[in-house]
Amino acid sequence: MREHGTTSQRMPLEGDAPLEGGAGRLTPEELRRSLQIFREKLSSDEVAYINSCVRCGLCADSCHYYLAEPQTECIPAYKLGLVTGVFKMYFGSVGKVFPRWMGARRLDRQTLEAWVDSLFGRCTLCGRCSLNCSVGLDVTRLIRLARSTLVSVGLVPRGLQSTVDTALQKGNNMGIPRQEWVETVEWLEQELRGELNDERARLPLDVQGARLLCTVNPREPMFFPLSIVAAGKILHAAGESWTFSSENYDVTNYGLFSGDDDAARVMAERLVESMERLGCETLVLAECGHGFNSNRWKGPQWLRKRYGFEVRSILEVVADYVREGRIKLDPSLNPDLVTLHDPCNLVRLGGVVEDQRYLLERSSLHFVEMVPNREKNFCCGGGGGQLSMSEFSERRLSAGKIKAEQIRATGARVVAAPCHNCIDQISELNKHYKLGVETKTVCEVVAAALVTEG
Amino acid sequence: MTPFLRYAVFLSSGFCLVSLLILLIKTFAFGRRTNYAKHRGSAVRGVLYAFGRGMMPTEKESARRHLFTYSAGVTYHGGILAALVYLVLLLLEYELPAPLLSLFRLLLTLGFVAGFFLLLRRILLPAPRKLSCPDDFAANILVTAFVLLGAVHSQWESGLPLFFLTATAVFLYVPLGKIRHCVFFFYSRVLFGLFYGSRGVLPQEKKQEAA
Repeated sequence: MREHGTTSQRMPLEGDAPLEGGAGRLTPEELRRSLQIFREKLSSDEVAYINSCVRCGLCADSCHYYLAEPQTECIPAYKLGLVTGVFKMYFGSVGKVFPRWMGARRLDRQTLEAWVDSLFGRCTLCGRCSLNCSVGLDVTRLIRLARSTLVSVGLVPRGLQSTVDTALQKGNNMGIPRQEWVETVEWLEQELRGELNDERARLPLDVQGARLLCTVNPREPMFFPLSIVAAGKILHAAGESWTFSSENYDVTNYGLFSGDDDAARVMAERLVESMERLGCETLVLAECGHGFNSNRWKGPQWLRKRYGFEVRSILEVVADYVREGRIKLDPSLNPDLVTLHDPCNLVRLGGVVEDQRYLLERSSLHFVEMVPNREKNFCCGGGGGQLSMSEFSERRLSAGKIKAEQIRATGARVVAAPCHNCIDQISELNKHYKLGVETKTVCEVVAAALVTEG
Repeated sequence: MTPFLRYAVFLSSGFCLVSLLILLIKTFAFGRRTNYAKHRGSAVRGVLYAFGRGMMPTEKESARRHLFTYSAGVTYHGGILAALVYLVLLLLEYELPAPLLSLFRLLLTLGFVAGFFLLLRRILLPAPRKLSCPDDFAANILVTAFVLLGAVHSQWESGLPLFFLTATAVFLYVPLGKIRHCVFFFYSRVLFGLFYGSRGVLPQEKKQEAA
């Protein structure tokens, strides 16, 4: 259990000039509250990181924002400095007395505006800088901490906040009513039966005691229903005991991006509730990078408890089917050159590194890696909630140039991306940079190579 | 003069150690978060990686891309360590054998050159300059001077009072400014290893294609 140290310092926050933007409306009381939240979110780990940064700047070209736009404001150490400066001002003994000397800064309206612009607008929380940091600082964690502070004063960009609000109010981030989800599953089940020519094929709903409870990204029923059919086809071929839930099936958790721990806790708890209600053994997370990080790693932390069930990515489950001979694949059914994008939250921050490769190597005739790859891969630019923050979309596309160049260098026709945020971003990059590729989930590639009876 | 400065070095180093200890206690007072998620990999292997292979340019793109700066950083810190050991030996009035003295001369000289290069880099390159605050320059100047004076003494056996004086200043400044990373670096590196190790991200067995 986390313990708190001394209570937040009471430093004067008033007196800074009002701004036109969102922070301009904040009252001195709200500013004080933001400092209080900042303090409450700090743990010893963050304090250690803050005391470790030497501002060497070697992290600069590990960031896709900096590579696309080489400005100081895009250097991770600069963005981090916006956060560490506040710590030094209120919680560092020397910074209080000699703020200029130590690079300390007040948590005022200007700082909060700078946080919104830099920490929401120039960061995807991909963690590539942390991996390349000379010291090994978890930059992502400190930036998310600052985002949490912005939540407390209502300074989360509107699009991102609205995605969180929709999920909280409607049960999923697309606001799909329960009946519509049930009907979509029924319709897709007919599609699956038609495709397999097998009346026994099912997309089961609310099956008590099924071994696996599968989740979806709500973008799938809305825009990519074939990815649900692909997953269903594989699970059916493996003879798996599985189910969807008619409620609380959303794998996404935009609280991770906005920094809203309370909202994130509610969303994580919903999947736990579905697991307990249906009595399943394993929670299977759909191909969704941040959904994996949220539910596999952060969920237990948000809920402050160990889960009594397994949490796995569908990629891990399907890779096991291939290893165990439960499904057979014919790579010649995917003759195009396929490459793989590594979603940051699944790979660098999630640890699912090899299973997707194992699957693509066995389900496509020609598979080629991007360079660099695995945990060293570049972010596509769509993470950290960027796709929902329209005010930063120009920067997002510009920062995606690095990924576009990586894809083009492979010469691939198909980009497999086990994450729907990444798929959306790569689809936009495809149009913007005229890459001429097709984006698919890994399960779609595997399903196309599936050898079915009859 | 020198006996007085000798005491100053002892006192300042005591102040440094006690202050760093207080800093650590204050840091721990913020509390730690418990990790409730089931591990996927080995936290121990992650920590070993963090202090071993994970520091190498082969593993770290930033080090590979900035090999000269990375090497300067390693050399600088080697020089600082040598200066500290040299200081301790002087305080103990230990007579160094000639080959060992030559080794110290080499390490201290290289350390000074590397430190001076890093200072110039911070002053001359726009990005590092904009990232820096006065504390960064002060820390670099102070420590580089300490290494330089160590090198001078090892070569000509002169300037001992100045070396002791600079050492005193360094010890007094360590807990106040960025040099405190001498302790927090290890803390952060352990956290790095725990994070990537427990999640099964690092160490990766498969060989990566280099960027």
